[in-house]
Amino acid sequence: METPHSTTHAPQGFWTKYLFSTDHKTIGIQYMITGLFMAAVGGFLAYVFRYNLAFPGESIPLFGQLDAMHYNAFVTNHGMIMVLFVGMPFLVSGLGNLLIPLMIGTDDMAFPTLNMMSFWIFLVSCLVMVAAFFVPGGAFGGGWTLYPPLSASGYVNRNPAFWSTFFSATPMFILGVALEFVSMLMGGINFLVTTINKRAEGMTPFKIPLIVWFLNIATLDFMVSVGPLVAGAVMLLLDNVVGTGFYDPARGGDPVLFQHLFWFFGHPEVYVLLLPALGVMGEIIPVFSRKPLFAYRTIIYLSLIAAVLSVVVWAHHQFIAGIDPRMATFFSIGTIIISIPFAGVFLSFMATLWGGSIRFTMPMIWALGFIGLFLIGGLTGLYLGSSTFDIYAHDTYFVVAHFHYTMFPVVFFGFFSAVYFWFPKFTGKHLNHTLGMIHFWLTFIPFNVTFFVLFFNGLAGQHRRVNEYSSFSNIMKEPYITFEKISTIGAIVLMVSQFIFLYNLFISLRKGRKAEKNPWDSNTLEWQADSPPVHGNFNPYPVVYHGPYEYSHPSSEQDFVPQDNPIVLKTN
Amino acid sequence: MNTAILPAQRKLIPDAVLGMLFLVSAEIMFFSGLISAYIINRSGVVDWPPLNQPRLPILMTGINTFVLALSGVFMALAVKKSAGAPRSAENWLKASALLGLTFLLVQGTEWSNMLAAGMHTNSSVFGAFFYTIIGAHGVHVVAGLLMLIYALIKNRMEPVGQNPNRLVAISVYWYFVVAVWPVLYVLVYFN
Repeated sequence: METPHSTTHAPQGFWTKYLFSTDHKTIGIQYMITGLFMAAVGGFLAYVFRYNLAFPGESIPLFGQLDAMHYNAFVTNHGMIMVLFVGMPFLVSGLGNLLIPLMIGTDDMAFPTLNMMSFWIFLVSCLVMVAAFFVPGGAFGGGWTLYPPLSASGYVNRNPAFWSTFFSATPMFILGVALEFVSMLMGGINFLVTTINKRAEGMTPFKIPLIVWFLNIATLDFMVSVGPLVAGAVMLLLDNVVGTGFYDPARGGDPVLFQHLFWFFGHPEVYVLLLPALGVMGEIIPVFSRKPLFAYRTIIYLSLIAAVLSVVVWAHHQFIAGIDPRMATFFSIGTIIISIPFAGVFLSFMATLWGGSIRFTMPMIWALGFIGLFLIGGLTGLYLGSSTFDIYAHDTYFVVAHFHYTMFPVVFFGFFSAVYFWFPKFTGKHLNHTLGMIHFWLTFIPFNVTFFVLFFNGLAGQHRRVNEYSSFSNIMKEPYITFEKISTIGAIVLMVSQFIFLYNLFISLRKGRKAEKNPWDSNTLEWQADSPPVHGNFNPYPVVYHGPYEYSHPSSEQDFVPQDNPIVLKTN
Repeated sequence: MNTAILPAQRKLIPDAVLGMLFLVSAEIMFFSGLISAYIINRSGVVDWPPLNQPRLPILMTGINTFVLALSGVFMALAVKKSAGAPRSAENWLKASALLGLTFLLVQGTEWSNMLAAGMHTNSSVFGAFFYTIIGAHGVHVVAGLLMLIYALIKNRMEPVGQNPNRLVAISVYWYFVVAVWPVLYVLVYFN
């Protein structure tokens, strides 16, 4: 471990090279492909229940009739799958595995075998989630937040014959999520140890690219917050399987306790996904503005502050759960304060764009789209952070629209920015520019069509988790009925247009223009390795002289200075 | 074919130990979650433990606490000896594992007594918390013992002596298992 070693043993066979690989690049791609499959599952669930909302009672193409129980199960699983089984593998496990060793200039993760195991456990967790749809009684339908007493009583979709086994809805849901956590924990330990111990010579803390910082801060946030949720999930599992009464008020338990344990994790989880996406923007924006990242160190300090604050704002999800109003005030203020560091990060990105020679490449377009959309999500979050407004808007489609305006840009715009940016590096081929542009506009516009109208429906009082609104006179009138249909049509266009992306991936892998080492004239170390990088990544291993964002430096002839370029930059 | 040699890196804390420290910090948060749930639930109940439930065996568990603590001390001695005297280190490791096993057996006996006295996971929230918290710790003791056995087997297979980082990493986990116990003991047994 401590001794220098040669990386000559590249795996040769198909199985060791593509399936049971310990190479961080292969594992990262495996995570992303699995995430794509789960996105297809989560997207299909969304299609089915959105169709049901717009055209209630009609037979859904490719599916059929949707009853209330299945509606609940589909909404529940759509939420959990998109957050933990799409967002996490795309942004944290996928990007972390692909980028961390390359960007810090080393051969692989600190524990390659653990890394491989973490992927296979993740795959099993995905299979458990999908398999839950096929057990007697169907998948869990108590809401993705698993609130007891609904989730603890066995009321939701449980086949009585199976009640004492693990093969029923709630235990399988908890098991799938628990396995995902195990996998993330193993991956997270790898990220942190690799970044701390395996950096290239000269890679001091403030020469580490922003995304590596953010991936590590996100991992720390995850590891601090996940323990209490695991404790809460163990108790929920015991309530279901053994018959304890932790969350049963009739037997001295407390259902709100679970909400606290859940959101103690659930809120930081938002930042676990947001930070890597912001990191992607932090890499893309300076490259295509040809300017140094504005206030690099301040961004890191701000995100550390945000990470600390993120674990003390969780109860803003529970303003109507009957918590003490004094506590609600505390959490309201905390929630509004946490927008300050992120506003700082966003303003730094704006300042990076300011006066830069902006190149509208595909990754840059996606990054700018991310900033525009996330701004709407963040600003509506400010309204919801105030408990007075939240009590009115809680559990309405206003909240649904708000978090889709945050999570969709984070998970999908973050992912697409990253794919369009790093695809040439990891495959050696360029993606098709025209198809990329069509894909962007056919994602950006339908996304807004889908979710912007939901703000109005939410303010009109449309409650979420209801499959059929015929008895709600405030919703069963124009324009809200039309808005439902607009939203559904937008969602269908949004999903269909993702096939353009898949087609682009396949066509570019087969016939794409060959990519050189550093197609974007970027500074960070991964662009100094071959495209695609060989097993072991570098030959020879780099030594770092500069920070990651030395663009358009006056004392350099090129407008970029790779981190391992030994020239001396004069500061004046 | 890539023939580059990865330069040696200066490491303040070796990989294995650092990884274990991160795992332990996540575990601390797990137990914090259980403990806070327990304290919150207890604070809302007047009669704690419930009147119809048996009292917990404070004395026997107190002695058992010392057994586990001693096991931690033996582990520290094993780590200390592993550099110079691998044979002696192995003996300390065995002693440490034996005490860990004793702790587990005594706890198991207590559990069967409690069950016989009418305390079950579903007889009260008190019982549920007792078996969950103490059981969660028990699972961690089992995991620690498996690591100790792994270290002993590895030691046999590598006659030159224990890989120091592996043993230190395992010891970090074992210290955690030992150190979290008194906290749980005081919180759960003393009401």
